Amino acid sequence: MNFAVEMQGITKRFGGVTALNSVDLQVESQTIHALVGENGAGKTTLMRVLYGASPADEGSITLKGQRVRHLRSKDAIAAGISMVSQHYTVIPELTCLQNLMLGAEDGPIIHPAKSEEKAEALAQRMGFSFDWHRPAAELSPAGAQKLEILKLLWRNAELMILDEPTAMLSPSDSEALFASLHKLTHEGATVILVTHRLPEVLEHCKAVTVLRGGMLVSEKQVSETSGAELTRMIIGADLPSARPSLRNEPGELVLEVSELAVKGDRHNVAVREVSIAIRAGEIVGIAGVDGNGQRELFQALAGVRKVAKSQIRIDGHELQSTADGLKRGLRVIPEDRQEEGVIESWSLESNAALGLQRLSPLAKGALIASQARRRWAATAAELLNTKYVGLSQPMSSLSGGNQQRFVAAKALGLAPRLLLAFQPARGLDIGGTLDLYREIRKACDEGAAALLVSFDLDELLDHCDRILVMNDGTLVDAPPGSSREMIGRLMVGAE
Amino acid sequence: MWRLAALLTGGLAMLAGAMLISDVGPLHALRTLFEGSLGSPGAVAGTLRETSPLLLAGVAVFLALRAGLYNIGVEGQLIVGAAAATAIALQVSGPAGILLASLGGMAAGALWAFPAGWIKAYRNGHEVITTIMLNNIAIYFTGWLLSSPMKDPDQQSPTTGTIDAASRLPHVFSNPPLIISSGLVLGIAAVILLALWLKKTVAGYELEAVGANPVAAKYAGINARKSTLLAMASSGAIAGLAGAVQVLAYEGRFYTGFSPGYGFDALGVAILAGSNALGVIPAGLLFGILAKGGTALQIEGVPKGITTVVLGFLILFAAAVRYRQVKAVA
Repeated sequence: MNFAVEMQGITKRFGGVTALNSVDLQVESQTIHALVGENGAGKTTLMRVLYGASPADEGSITLKGQRVRHLRSKDAIAAGISMVSQHYTVIPELTCLQNLMLGAEDGPIIHPAKSEEKAEALAQRMGFSFDWHRPAAELSPAGAQKLEILKLLWRNAELMILDEPTAMLSPSDSEALFASLHKLTHEGATVILVTHRLPEVLEHCKAVTVLRGGMLVSEKQVSETSGAELTRMIIGADLPSARPSLRNEPGELVLEVSELAVKGDRHNVAVREVSIAIRAGEIVGIAGVDGNGQRELFQALAGVRKVAKSQIRIDGHELQSTADGLKRGLRVIPEDRQEEGVIESWSLESNAALGLQRLSPLAKGALIASQARRRWAATAAELLNTKYVGLSQPMSSLSGGNQQRFVAAKALGLAPRLLLAFQPARGLDIGGTLDLYREIRKACDEGAAALLVSFDLDELLDHCDRILVMNDGTLVDAPPGSSREMIGRLMVGAE
Repeated sequence: MWRLAALLTGGLAMLAGAMLISDVGPLHALRTLFEGSLGSPGAVAGTLRETSPLLLAGVAVFLALRAGLYNIGVEGQLIVGAAAATAIALQVSGPAGILLASLGGMAAGALWAFPAGWIKAYRNGHEVITTIMLNNIAIYFTGWLLSSPMKDPDQQSPTTGTIDAASRLPHVFSNPPLIISSGLVLGIAAVILLALWLKKTVAGYELEAVGANPVAAKYAGINARKSTLLAMASSGAIAGLAGAVQVLAYEGRFYTGFSPGYGFDALGVAILAGSNALGVIPAGLLFGILAKGGTALQIEGVPKGITTVVLGFLILFAAAVRYRQVKAVA
């Protein structure tokens, strides 16, 4: 077998913590190889070692048969290794073409026509199409993802590392992405896919490496394993049976929205006269392809976006502001945890109060109740098993998944009445996702109502009592018992 | 605190190096510096007097900094505060005069900072530019005031009359030559109050949240615009108070060139202070020592500018160290 990469006995320590303990990884050339594991299993660390961002303490790396002792970033780039991280690096102010070339221009002088020709040829090869002179700010997440992949190709990448590339994509965009990845592997590239979505692994990958707690659990051909076996290897035990939920009859009306209209960033009408009613005890999901107004609707309900016509009531009270909503039990899990959900330079303890700072018991009048805050921070960290060392460590030292756990726990732990969540399971592993939905269900059984936006239809189907579908700014109810296909048709407005 | 000590040692080493180059015995120069600033009761009194305005002005800069605002306009706000306080104290005498003059100074400072805060909050215009412009306006506006409306007709130079002794802030300790004014006590109190406010109150927490991440602050129900406006106006009010106290405690009048750049030194004080408001006290004292000791050096024939150069380096290093730390965390 011909290997693009062989990593042997990779060990990486951070202070006293061993993040990777003698891990091996062998990736066959011209295949899609999956790397799976829980949050904090060491996937990202291993990939950082591979592209030279953080050299390993022990172990060796063999690239195309050549053994490299100390792999540095420039060696990795020279060997054609590159990575698309979970957070896109597209600069919104620059045009698509400028983004594509940035840092890899052909020379000190840019020839726009020649560059565009080259870019267009590259895009056509992949079956993508771009309006090269529009600012990248106008790209949908799927478009940004495609541009990221083209950026790698522009740089002659031969080994691409993709970190959860489908987290923000609709099912059809995901399919298109995998089609282009297969095309790439046919043309000679090799792909390492870091993912939490096992169906992707089973359907599209040739081999899979499972990490747990910084150790190699197994490396298998996908044809020789199953979803159940992978799950067992990932979490190290059988899954708790999903959802022992008792569906109570929905209670009183919690959220009432009538004829809400919201403008988008480009003064377009993003949400058209939407009405929603959600009762206590209900978990309601909003399905839809990204960019159909979910974001604007969500931000309006959270009180952070101006509405053209305000008709939002929580428990009968009109929503005046975010602060007012928070007092009435509004809790928000925002879309972008790093930008919107936490203050990364602050400690966990300070972050625990963010958004709840004026609520009892965290405030006593105008003063901060420090002891209560410390206790609450510990409670919030425990609720969804955030892995942390101490409450005074900065939020930025937590992995993405652990930050998400903390942000979600913060929204669930202090008397929520209405939970608004945008892709709440983003970046969470299987166990974390189950923990999260168990706690959401528990909060709703205790009288809260939840409204979730997700681009992962399966996640919504698994966990929601009702599904609404958003398409081009309007919201329709999916009839009870709708099939996946039927909702899919509603998502694209075909019904 | 160790950081400040390390910086201080480094600064002294640099100062000694500079002395060697300029052909003055470094040990002799350092002794002059310290004797001139700390060596006698009179010298200590002078150092404390130099420190006093830097504490209040440092608090003004620090407060804005925590809200993510670079208030370069403290100098201008301090000057208009001093002018307003003098105008009031010349009319009203006694404790009532002191109170009214202080409030008037604060109001003037707040007013001077308000446009910068408003433009930042509602038009996203950068406060560094606007406050620098407002500094210029303050300097020329008070210059005009001193040229006719406020000028004491009995004086040749552009200065106001001297305020009544009854309108002066009292000394808390007086055993000449060691005199400590209540102005210094006010400065220390302001630092401690700010530190407590930031640490213990919800409003302080919200202000720092806006400074650290305005988007997350918005999701946390904090009105970032209002916070920005309030932080800028409060910063201006404290700067105005610094000007008022300088009049009431030390100068007794307002004149052209009233501030030798307290508002700008305060920027250095706030940066040296680091992330804790209490750091303003040692940082202010360091500036005070170098300012007073620099005068003593000048008498020995060493240009005073050399201490300014050393201070400049210290601030550069402090900023560099701070940057590295931020990066290491991220």
